[in-house]
Amino acid sequence: MKKLYTLMASVLLASMLMIALGGAVMPVSAQGTAPDCTQATVFCVGDVTDVGHVDDKSFNQSTWEGVQNAKKDGFADWIQYIETSDSKDYAKNISTFADAGYKVIVTTGFNLTDPTYAAAKQYPKVMFIGVDQFLSKDATHPDWPLPNLVALVYNEDQSGFLVGALAAQMSKSHNIGGVFGTDAVPPVWRYGEGYRAGAAYEDAKNGTKTTVTNVYHNDVGFDKTFLDPPWGATTAQSMIDKGADVIFGGGGSTGNGAVDKAAADKVLAIGVDSDQYYTLPEADAYLLTSAMKPIPGPLDALIGLAKSGKFPTSGLYTGTSGYAPYHDVASQVPANVDSEMQATLKGLTDGSIKTNVPPVKPAAPATPATGGGLSTTAIIIIVVIVLLVVAAIFYFRRKK
Amino acid sequence: MQKSEEQGFAKILGQIREALLVPLLAIVTAIILGGLIIWVAGGDPIAAYRGLIQGAFGSPAALSETAVWATPYIFAGLAVAFAFRGGLFNIGAEGQLAFGAVTAALIGYALPGWLHTTLPSYIHIPLAVGLGMLAGAIWAAIPGALKAYTGGHEVINTIMMNYIALNITSFLLNGPMRDPDPLNLSARTPEIALSARIPPLFNIPGMRAHWGFVLALLVAVFIWWLLWKTTLGFEIRTVGANPDAAKYAGINVKKTIVITMAISGALAGLAGAIEVTALNYRHELGFSSGYGFDAIAIALLGKTNPYGVILAAILFGAMRNGGTRMQFLTQIPTDIISVIQALILLFVAADAIIRFIYHIRAREEQVVLTRGWGG
Repeated sequence: MKKLYTLMASVLLASMLMIALGGAVMPVSAQGTAPDCTQATVFCVGDVTDVGHVDDKSFNQSTWEGVQNAKKDGFADWIQYIETSDSKDYAKNISTFADAGYKVIVTTGFNLTDPTYAAAKQYPKVMFIGVDQFLSKDATHPDWPLPNLVALVYNEDQSGFLVGALAAQMSKSHNIGGVFGTDAVPPVWRYGEGYRAGAAYEDAKNGTKTTVTNVYHNDVGFDKTFLDPPWGATTAQSMIDKGADVIFGGGGSTGNGAVDKAAADKVLAIGVDSDQYYTLPEADAYLLTSAMKPIPGPLDALIGLAKSGKFPTSGLYTGTSGYAPYHDVASQVPANVDSEMQATLKGLTDGSIKTNVPPVKPAAPATPATGGGLSTTAIIIIVVIVLLVVAAIFYFRRKK
Repeated sequence: MQKSEEQGFAKILGQIREALLVPLLAIVTAIILGGLIIWVAGGDPIAAYRGLIQGAFGSPAALSETAVWATPYIFAGLAVAFAFRGGLFNIGAEGQLAFGAVTAALIGYALPGWLHTTLPSYIHIPLAVGLGMLAGAIWAAIPGALKAYTGGHEVINTIMMNYIALNITSFLLNGPMRDPDPLNLSARTPEIALSARIPPLFNIPGMRAHWGFVLALLVAVFIWWLLWKTTLGFEIRTVGANPDAAKYAGINVKKTIVITMAISGALAGLAGAIEVTALNYRHELGFSSGYGFDAIAIALLGKTNPYGVILAAILFGAMRNGGTRMQFLTQIPTDIISVIQALILLFVAADAIIRFIYHIRAREEQVVLTRGWGG
């Protein structure tokens, strides 16, 4: 036994020694030594992801690309990210950067809206960029706009308008469909209604009559609405069965399910947010385009403004909208359609074309009955289940 | 282990040493192996572990965050460990925790409205936390009763009850209990009333450690007392060790099984209720992802002893908390923390590996964690 404790003690001692020695000898980071960000001349940019990884082929990844571009363009001296593993760590992760003297902190996704707002008030000297966060002066954000907080937002209706215009021109059956997450999320609603408006715009120009079927995944909870590829696939399937020959999939993996299904059925598909040619390679052969809200470019530019002391004080910075290249289906897109698309993009950018899509879904007439009715049903169901279980217990107990 | 009354103080010390030996060696081995993995992947293990330790213990704020992380782990770990002592494998801590959290949130935000009055904290907090516990207890007592009176195995039933609980929670948070704020885009409840909030330990911004941590330590002591100093505890441990002998000795085995599960569920419900009333001030879907499952690892690492659970929970909390700083300093993904935790669990569960590596003789008696199928 004595030998054993000696062994254990020496193992512990050895590991402690290693840590102590290593600290003195080895550099802290594998990618070079971190500069002292607390110094005024050292411009450090930190990136706090939403729950998930920095290479998620989605917002976390595009945001980090933007931050990396800022380093390449010389706006940032040092960049670093922290991947959030649990939503209760948002504030802690932001503070980790702020306390280390970072000048700009980028936070990704609407889940970080409130933690970012709170941090901006706590650290008035740090500049914050909230990617895809909607802010306005309201009860939760009474002090908006803050001079050190900018929300990077997009006119999703313009991106939707562009792909809707393209879909209407490319459709042979004059029947196009859109499969979306819940329209209670404003960007999703703007994509969908922009899509409809874009198709109507081309109809008016060309004298066609295009049927646009938009289906939003409103019937499930917020936790599932963007994570339901099977629903996206079956919804796309039913649209294709009814004659749709272009499908726009908008909203997380639900939309991806629709895009994949369309491509599998050899029907043109349209992706969303980033150029999905790179994120859904299995759909490449039929991926017409993607409704883009590119993050890296505008984010890079914003970090540049922060560096040069011209950080916007309006609280909002609108990123450019656009549509992705046609890639593999470029040969199918006629030259006149392509030139019309470029003209439409130009018109949207300079304001001569309006989408006329309201920023959020207009409130429907209030239906207070549904809320109360649902909860009553739920309580009845739960009570019945509990009663059944109790009855079963007593039944089996008596039998014995 | 029951012979301890006749044994001297030195003997007890020896037992503690014996009990700590394998877990400690398992942790050391896992950390060394984890370091190897970091090194093979091209990282610097020393810098990584320095970041981890700094992030977990390096400053008052870091210590406070470690306590924040450890709090639900202690409660949930106690829940699983308690059931283990009664010979039951409670995989359902996750669902019981969710129900505890939902109930505490509901009482927290809705009760003043129902009563058309504001409540003082000393009534509102115990009500929210207590009813959260009760919800967890009821949810766990159901598989307990199924086990006792129908023989339905608690492993299967608690797993299935998890799905039921999480889907009911999802429905409630998306439907009747959803935060009506028009800006709200998440499945979450409104914020609980100020009177239902457990205050932080220190009134310093950035220090989130709350009285729930102290409560967790007290509850651990209480559970130890309950298990080893009361008749009920003796009955629970006897049923856990050998239900046939327990029955022969006149213990009501069925009742004891239901009580064991109910107390276990109450502890898990407490974990959720405290997270809501002391930290998040609301219940949000996805917040508790995995506490109930980490709890199984914590209970095993703590050798199902309440004090062992505290140590294991603080270790796991420290690793989860320090992971952020580790990534900040070295950009090593926090997933390595899960790898190390899994290795620890592996070495503790299959302690023959550790005993072989370090040439430790096996004890004569092993702790019976759970009985086999249909036991």
